Amino acid sequence: MASKRADVHHVLPAGGWLGREELAQPLPPTTDVLIVGGGLAGTAVAYYLAREGIDTVLVERGELNREASGTNAGSFHFQIAIHQLTAAETENVRDRLSTEVRLHAEAAHVWKGLERELDGLLDLHFTGGLMVAETATELRLLHDKRVIEEEAGLEIEILEGDALRGFAPYLAEDLLGASFCPDEGHANPALAAPLFALRAVQAGAVIRTNAEVTAIELAADGGSGRFVVTTAAGRIRAHRLVNAAGAWASQLASQLGLVLPLRSEGLHLNVTEPREHVLEPMVQHIGRRLTLKQTANHSFIIGGGWPSRPESPPRRHSTRWESMAGNVAVAMRVVPLLANVRVVRTWSGVMAFTDDLAPVVGESSRVPGYHTLVATTGFTLSPLLARLLAETMASGRNTIPPMFSVDRPPERVPAT
Amino acid sequence: MTSDILVVGGGPAGLAAGTEAASNGLSVLVVDERTTLGGQIFKQPGVGFRVTDANALGHDFVRGRTLIEAAERSGAMLMTRTTVVAIRGTEVVLVTDDVEARTVKARRVIVAPGAHDRPVVFPGWTLPGVITAGGAQSLVKTQRVLPGHAIAFAGSGPLALAFPAQLRGYGANVTVVLEAGPPPGLRDVSRLARAARGNVRLLRDAVSYRARLLRDRVPLRYRRIVVRAEGTDRVERVVHAAVDDAWRPLEGTEEVVEADTLCVGYGFVPSVEALRLARCEFGYDEDLGGPVVIRDGWLRTTVDGISAAGDGAGVRGSYAAIDEGRLAALGAAADLGAISGDVGRRRASPLHRRLARREAFRRALRRLHAVGPGVYELAERGTVVCRCEELTAEELDHAIATSADINAIKAVSRVAMGMCQGRNCQRHVAASIARRHGGSIGSLPVATPRMPLRPVAIGAVADASIEDGGYFTRGE
Repeated sequence: MASKRADVHHVLPAGGWLGREELAQPLPPTTDVLIVGGGLAGTAVAYYLAREGIDTVLVERGELNREASGTNAGSFHFQIAIHQLTAAETENVRDRLSTEVRLHAEAAHVWKGLERELDGLLDLHFTGGLMVAETATELRLLHDKRVIEEEAGLEIEILEGDALRGFAPYLAEDLLGASFCPDEGHANPALAAPLFALRAVQAGAVIRTNAEVTAIELAADGGSGRFVVTTAAGRIRAHRLVNAAGAWASQLASQLGLVLPLRSEGLHLNVTEPREHVLEPMVQHIGRRLTLKQTANHSFIIGGGWPSRPESPPRRHSTRWESMAGNVAVAMRVVPLLANVRVVRTWSGVMAFTDDLAPVVGESSRVPGYHTLVATTGFTLSPLLARLLAETMASGRNTIPPMFSVDRPPERVPAT
Repeated sequence: MTSDILVVGGGPAGLAAGTEAASNGLSVLVVDERTTLGGQIFKQPGVGFRVTDANALGHDFVRGRTLIEAAERSGAMLMTRTTVVAIRGTEVVLVTDDVEARTVKARRVIVAPGAHDRPVVFPGWTLPGVITAGGAQSLVKTQRVLPGHAIAFAGSGPLALAFPAQLRGYGANVTVVLEAGPPPGLRDVSRLARAARGNVRLLRDAVSYRARLLRDRVPLRYRRIVVRAEGTDRVERVVHAAVDDAWRPLEGTEEVVEADTLCVGYGFVPSVEALRLARCEFGYDEDLGGPVVIRDGWLRTTVDGISAAGDGAGVRGSYAAIDEGRLAALGAAADLGAISGDVGRRRASPLHRRLARREAFRRALRRLHAVGPGVYELAERGTVVCRCEELTAEELDHAIATSADINAIKAVSRVAMGMCQGRNCQRHVAASIARRHGGSIGSLPVATPRMPLRPVAIGAVADASIEDGGYFTRGE
């Protein structure tokens, strides 16, 4: 076999990664925008704001990119997934799906230009994505969702029988069909946020790590900034605030009495030894929890939403034997050649789930100046949403769909 | 599957623990990942070999056979080719032959995984012909194969004498023996003499190994360390240098020796992966191999139901490991009510006494073999540090510049993410972090322990009967 080396990890972006010493410098006393959270959402907003010449500071509780942004599987999810479809009976939900798919198509566009825009490697692969169906009901779902997806401008093809066999000979022979979206693919989650962070700093933003926010108060006089924020690295005043704290965004919002329609869940992922490259597209399942892909260093990454076990901080969520055994069983059902491939590691990440699965983006009407940026499919959507939010904050013209509003009424939130 | 006692590891500590527990009427399962029992030190000849004269194979072989036969007679169930891949409390997932997974619920788990060679990174360490002492020993013990024709040995510790002497005994051409520590002086000898009670066998062994090397005129060089292995497609030359007390090479002292094989043995480090995953608490003592699990007088860890015995809980050698295995089993038997506390204490007291004498002996040897930090500083910019991911020292340094957090460094560089699961490079990485950001190796947080403890085939672990956990339920 050729070198296992995934070269993107060995090519430094121009300027080198941000140094630890730089990230530990004192916090400036004031700023226009203070971003809380050093994941993909936060670093991307910092980059887009700084590029507009806006005075921006980002504070991160621990190290950059250590939570969902760096621990997800790096897939671009543009097709409608099972969890979105199961509620598709009402016209209302159908509209929402349609809006989201349009957003996905735009997100694909943003990702495609990102390596050039950020002048660095992101291990981007637009391999296309398959969503397989095992049963007749599932196959019908594929056809149903295609109608919505095509209306919204996403390219989708349904492959069945010999066509599927010819296209993806590694799939189990008894699978009935699959939808294929050529825009899907993956990037390297270990690289995206660090590259955004680096370019943000080069564009003038300030980033500080190990700067956990302990208190947020509203100042009576807005002179040097209405938000008075105390962090582990010192105090700072900001005119505007962006909550990009991911799974911890609700907790942060509650400091000002805001309630976000969010909860956090831990996910379990598996990675195998490298093997001969056989799997070109990403593979998902319309009826079961599965995402499967083969990375640039030829390992298979297997995930799809199996739970990890919550632990009390500072411990990270632990991975679960049951999740590994169940998740790889689905993967092997779909791609039988995995049977003799070995799992070398598992890991977990904690991500934010909005109760209605739509992103929470924009300014709060209750606390003017308070913005949020949190998405359930955060890896796929954060670069696009960050750009939209930054443009809105820079221009004052709101381009964010109202259905993503932080103020959206609680009746939209289904009971769980 | 259930068992009163599950013993992880079939080396000296595990075999002794299994035998002791079973003789007290407990149901016992002993598992070991190798094809034969005995562990590294008592490694048995491979499949196809027949032993016609056990004494010819030496004292250790006889000790090992005795231990294995006692375990076989004890009533303990012995399972080889079986690996622990996950542990949570006293619930342990085992995989046999990489085809079959099963979960064992035990009332007590005794973890006795042993130790592996202290990994040391230096320019040329990935060249064919560079082999660890443990690896070379396996070749000799299981296959009767010598690792090469002209063998240079570099290392430290009791094995630095024992192993080259054993190799000479098999007829190998040992060109030089480099011991990083100082030669024994008069004060060391008197210290050892004071600690000799109960350790005569160990002393006698050491003297005979030294005599063997002298007789065969193998150059034995103290205070010298390997700094580089050179060669085109394999080792052709070994460059070594004199070192100071911290094992840092002294300029202008380099010498070159021709060799086709470099055997590296800077002591052993405990195999702690299972104990880490089980969340036992750890201390750090480089002389005991580095991370050392915290235990009480019955060798119970800080996690309920889990004890640890043998080199996996701090490298002390096979004599101590056997006593520790028995001690851990007595503690578990008393905890489970198989014997009374009084009986347990009475039987434990000679073991405690012997272990105390071993400890005194180990301390007497300490000046000679204390590991110097210089051994972790030999890599040059282009030296591959993480061989699984082919990452050089320079590339690692770029990642370390961004963070002192090992998890963050792993994510950005992929160091320690390959097949060896970090076993080969993590000490070097920790030393590099400590050097750049301050602190000591022992005080740094370790990477989050994760299952599986060994790479395991998807076909072996896949379980289609497990309900989809789904991320829309609130978990547990």
